Amino acid sequence: MTTDRRSVVVTGRGAICAMGDRPAGIFDALCEGRAPFAAPTLFAPDLTPGIEVAEVPRFAADTYVQGGNIRPLDRTGRLALVGVELALADSGWSADRRTDHVLGLVLGTMFCSVKTIGEFDRRALQAGPGYVSPMDFSNTVLNAAAGQVAIWQKLRGVNSTIATGSTSGLHAIGYGAQLIQRGRADALLAGGAEEICYESCYGFYRAGRLASVNGEAKPRVAPFDAHRNGTLMGEGAAFLVLESEESARARHATVLARVLGFGSSYDPDARDSPTAPAGALAAAIRRAIADAGVTPEQIGAVVSSASGSPRLDAREAAGIASVVGPSVPVTAIKSMTGEALGASGALQALTAIEALRSGTLPGVAGLTQLDPTISLNVTAGTRAVSATHALVTAVTPEGNCCAVVLAG
Amino acid sequence: MSSRPRVVVTGIGAVTSVGIGVDVFWRAILSGACGIGTVESFDTAAYSVHIGGEVKQFEPRTFMERLRPGEIARASQLAIAAARLALQDAALGAGALDPFASGVSIGTTSGEPTMIEQFNDKETAGQRERIGPEFIEQYPCHVIAAHVASELGLAGPNLVIPTACAAGNYALAYASDAIRHGEADVMLAGGADAFSRITYTGFARLGAIAPARCQPFDKHRKGMVPGEGAAILVLERRDRAMERGARVYAELVGYGLTCDANHMTAPQGDGAARAMRMAMADAGVRPDEIGYISAHGTGTLINDRIETAAVKQAFGDAAYAVPMSSIKSMLGHTMGAASAIEAAACALAVRDDRIPPTINYETADPECDLDYVPNAARRVPVELSMNNAYAFGGNNASVIFRKHHA
Repeated sequence: MTTDRRSVVVTGRGAICAMGDRPAGIFDALCEGRAPFAAPTLFAPDLTPGIEVAEVPRFAADTYVQGGNIRPLDRTGRLALVGVELALADSGWSADRRTDHVLGLVLGTMFCSVKTIGEFDRRALQAGPGYVSPMDFSNTVLNAAAGQVAIWQKLRGVNSTIATGSTSGLHAIGYGAQLIQRGRADALLAGGAEEICYESCYGFYRAGRLASVNGEAKPRVAPFDAHRNGTLMGEGAAFLVLESEESARARHATVLARVLGFGSSYDPDARDSPTAPAGALAAAIRRAIADAGVTPEQIGAVVSSASGSPRLDAREAAGIASVVGPSVPVTAIKSMTGEALGASGALQALTAIEALRSGTLPGVAGLTQLDPTISLNVTAGTRAVSATHALVTAVTPEGNCCAVVLAG
Repeated sequence: MSSRPRVVVTGIGAVTSVGIGVDVFWRAILSGACGIGTVESFDTAAYSVHIGGEVKQFEPRTFMERLRPGEIARASQLAIAAARLALQDAALGAGALDPFASGVSIGTTSGEPTMIEQFNDKETAGQRERIGPEFIEQYPCHVIAAHVASELGLAGPNLVIPTACAAGNYALAYASDAIRHGEADVMLAGGADAFSRITYTGFARLGAIAPARCQPFDKHRKGMVPGEGAAILVLERRDRAMERGARVYAELVGYGLTCDANHMTAPQGDGAARAMRMAMADAGVRPDEIGYISAHGTGTLINDRIETAAVKQAFGDAAYAVPMSSIKSMLGHTMGAASAIEAAACALAVRDDRIPPTINYETADPECDLDYVPNAARRVPVELSMNNAYAFGGNNASVIFRKHHA
């Protein structure tokens, strides 16, 4: 039905997370099943006893970017800046070129920086409202990271921030691709960013959503496992350079992958019913597959958002299985990257792209016994896949569902 | 693009400091009513300013059947009320919507700020252990759209676009594309923001809050006034709306989104002009065809001056002939809700050929020399209206509405 829409290609990718700061390096670490969780250093570990996190180690944004003042950017802003910088470098969109061409940015985030917001308000409470910093105030808006990155990288096109919880990064990629398909932009960066901080981690901890030690020496995150008992937090940023095929061709860019289809939906019953059917996710997946102009049989690999959540993993598995069937190889990366919230979906998309390019699908770290109620082809070990098309899925506890189809 | 479905506004829900419900709101702003008063949400004794545009006499329970007011925070409550009113206004009752073809797209600046404020109240009182699951369940901003959809049983595209004070227009842009490109038949689109201690503190620290009233474009304007509220527009595929005999306010015919990429808080003007031009190109209209501009018009010295220059840049000589008012003079700046509430005014303006005024306008400013519709509403043919919004982060968004001809 959409004959006049433009093809969207991926010409660059940039990422930083606990697993590394290069897509190939992150992918190798995922294939090795590394799980770099440790006690938090970004806040006092005794605030969340027994909890580990996957922080970006010794993160220093100024080792990645030069020629500007990094001081006005908070951690989320800096992670986003580095992710975008790496993606731009990978794609060959030089600073010179960006003065002549308008680039957009679609940034997914769940909290932007609730640390900045929280500290700003506590300063006002403790010292008085006259003692807050105006610079900090400009970072309390939820589009601060997108604004700061746009200033630094001179991105003058559409500048949107997408908030759909832990599906934000994938939703941003889907929307970014649509803006290009629909002729609203020729090229843009799409992805997500999130930081680890006390406010969000303590919130998740108090909500009982984090993996507990459960009698073992360390908490263990095990997506799709029969004994999964929660997630652990991660952080980072991941961005793709998306552009129209014409734009990529005109500048002789290397095409790394294609974004073929996107679908999103919402499950209005998710919050009330732990056993709500997976119909909403199935609808999003079907929409993405139809949007891509492919059939479910063409999907050769799935990168899910499973995080070790007892409820959500089962629901996501049911949604995936109901559309692509039980035999397609499926993986999950959050037992390695941690739950990086707004960045997660973009890290998943990056994983899918590397899987399409390398013919290798990372295994699910931590998985020892597949939940018998889950009818998916999931393995702990990394394996070879011969996929031409990959599906990336993401869900939130609130009910947000998102699916993207990529091609190699 | 002519084969694409067209997008019309068939319902409006407004929850504002000048009244709740579209008719009450519209009569109020046409009469120049002011919703600004002394702040009651929190104690402003430690501040040098004390006024705000709060929504008073709001009873969330009235609008909620499925969720409970105690389990969702204020921006969600405002959004649900606006959404329910909008559906009623559109005569879309229970069962009239296909759940998977009906979505929610909402803009906000602060999400649910009262939840982090409560977190901090406990934290600073040494009561960290009293912070419970409610923080993670109710604070993240995406819950606003989620709550609306859960309350109303909508399973289509669902998201929050937190692009600060241009967020409502961004949400409308997303929603109109979702309809044009077949992702949904109906989208509830708009914005919501709750009155926030954090926002108030920040603008007070910037010295941006006016002490007594909001006077956009006046030579002696003294700043903006923080406010709160929500507006939801029912955007609907035109052929579907026609089939069911819906009453149509206006057609959403185009938009433009840009970024200054220059400064976090100081507007630059060029990006705003580009957004206006993009919107006019998207709608296929000329500057001299625009009959009304709803200004961002915050009442700060810099915004109103730069915005005036940007309109001249985008419109050329036609700028002087286009009436441009700021309803923030009456409501204050309702943050992410502002451009959604102003979009409602734009849709009403083309329906009724009426333009709401900029109140508190007394002294002309040589640097702001356009027609700001001072102090009294105007009756004049309005075929096209343009809704402009600008935000922290250098975000610019313009949306254009056209009078609907059946």
